[in-house]
Amino acid sequence: MSAQKQALKLSSVRIAHKDALGELERYKLLVESVEDYAIFLLDADGYVQTWNKGAQKNKGYTADEIIGKHFSTFYLARDILAKKPERELKLARQLGRVEDEDWRVRKDGSQFWANVVITALKDDEGNIVGFAKVTRDLTDRKYNEDLLRSNNALLKRQQQELEALNVSKDEFISLASHQLRTPATTIKQLLGMLTQGFVGDVNPEHLKFIKRAYEANERQIRIVENLLKVAQLDAGKVVLRIRPVDLHDYLADIVEEHTGGIAKKGQTLKLVIEESAPLNAFLDLDYFRMALGNLIDNASKYSQSNGHITVSARADKSCLFVSVHDNGVGIAASDQKQLFEKFSRITNELSETVGGSGLGLYWVKRVIEMHNGKVSVKSKKHGGSTFTLELPLQDQHA
Amino acid sequence: MRKILVVEDEDMLRESYKMIISTEPYDLDVAKNGQEALDLCALKDYDLILLDLMMPVLDGVGFLKRFKNPNTKVIILSNLSSSDTIEEALKLGAESNLVKAAMSPRELLSRVRYEVTSL
Repeated sequence: MSAQKQALKLSSVRIAHKDALGELERYKLLVESVEDYAIFLLDADGYVQTWNKGAQKNKGYTADEIIGKHFSTFYLARDILAKKPERELKLARQLGRVEDEDWRVRKDGSQFWANVVITALKDDEGNIVGFAKVTRDLTDRKYNEDLLRSNNALLKRQQQELEALNVSKDEFISLASHQLRTPATTIKQLLGMLTQGFVGDVNPEHLKFIKRAYEANERQIRIVENLLKVAQLDAGKVVLRIRPVDLHDYLADIVEEHTGGIAKKGQTLKLVIEESAPLNAFLDLDYFRMALGNLIDNASKYSQSNGHITVSARADKSCLFVSVHDNGVGIAASDQKQLFEKFSRITNELSETVGGSGLGLYWVKRVIEMHNGKVSVKSKKHGGSTFTLELPLQDQHA
Repeated sequence: MRKILVVEDEDMLRESYKMIISTEPYDLDVAKNGQEALDLCALKDYDLILLDLMMPVLDGVGFLKRFKNPNTKVIILSNLSSSDTIEEALKLGAESNLVKAAMSPRELLSRVRYEVTSL
C-alpha cells in the first residue's frame, strides 16, 4: 500500500471515530482543549463545576484543586469585600450576561488583567441552573495600553512644555525687539541731535567723541537687528511671500540704495548685468533685497577706503547668479568653511574696527536656501572676495 | 501751517522728536499713547500723524481702529519687528512704515518735510 493510501485510510478511521462520539462529548473535548481561554461552568451559587486547560494555564489551579470552590477565589480581596462576585452573578441572572475587565488573582497570588464574560445558563423552563464563565488574560494588552497611555501623556506634557518654551521665546523676541531697540534708538536720536546740529554748536574735540559714540550705537542697533532677524528665522516666523520677479527690474534699485554710503567711504560700487540673461526667479523681493544688501555691506566693510565693489548678474540654463565682488581684505581658505555658521567671526585687519554679530552671512544663507538657492564664496587672503547668490530660474521651479 | 501729531510712549524719544520737528515751522503736538492721540484728534484735524505701534493704554493698531479721518496721513514710526502688526496697521489705513532705529534726526526731519509737502 502506498503511503498516500495509508494516510487516507487513517484519516477516515479518525472521522469515523469522531462521528461515534456524541455531540456533547465533542463540545466537551473542544472546550477542554482550548488553551487561550479559561472556560468553565459554575453552579447557580457560583461554585466551580468544570475546568479546562486554558483555565489551568490562566489561573494556575488543577481541576482537582478548584472544582467545588467558589468562583470568588479568583477575585482580589478588595473586590470580595465590595461583594463584586455576588454583584456580577446577580447581574448575569438579571441580564443573561455580564462582562467585566479588571484585575484577578492567580493561584500563586499574582495578578492578571482579565476580560471576563459570565453567561447565565437556563433549563427548558427558564430557571437558572448555572453560569458559563469565559476568562481571557489580557495583561499584555493592558500593559501595552497603559504604556501607550503614559507615553501619550508624557508626549502631551512635553509638547505643552515645548509650546510654553516657544511662547517664552516669542515673548523674548518681542521683548528684545522693543526693549533693546528703544533705548538704543533714544541714544541714536540724542547723539544725532548733537552731531547734526539740532542743539547748537558742539566743541569739535567733543564732537569727535560723540561721533564715535554714535557709530558704536549704530553698530549696537545693527547687532540687535541681526539677532532679531535670526531669532525670527530660527523660530520659523519668517514666511516668504514668493512671487515671480524679473531681477532686471530691481537690481539697479537695490544697488542704488547702497551707492551713497559706499561713496562716502571713498569706495565705488557698480552694477554689471548680462543684458541677454534671463533673470526671472520666484522670490520674496524684500528678503532678496536684504540678502543682497547684506553682501554689499560686507564687501564695503571689508574693503579699504579706496575699494571697488561690483555687483554682477548672469544666468545659465537653469540658474541665475548674482555676485558681489570686492578687492578687499579677502578670507583665508581655512576660514571660509565657518563663514556661514552662526556666530562665526573671522579675524582680519578690519574686523576689529568693523564689528559685527557673526549672524549676517548665516541669515543670508538660510534665507537663500529657503528660496531653494545657494550662497558660495571665492576668496583668498588679501585677494578680495566674490560672494554669489545662486537661484533657480523660474522655469526650473515647475 | 501744517498740523503734525507725534504719538510716542517713550518720554525721551518723544521729547527728541518734538525738538527735532520743532526746528521747522509746524503746528506740532505730541501724545504718549493712542488714547491721548484720539483725544487730541477730536480737537484738531492733523495733516500728518507719526504713530508708534507698541504703547500702553491704547496701542497704535487700537488707535487706527478708532481713528477715522481721510484727510490725515498716518505714518507708522515703530521698532516693532512683527510684520503681522505692521501689516494690520497698514490695512487699517496707515500709509507707510518707518523703522525708528534706522532714522537719524536729519533723516526724520527730511522725511517729515517730504510727507508734508506731498500732501
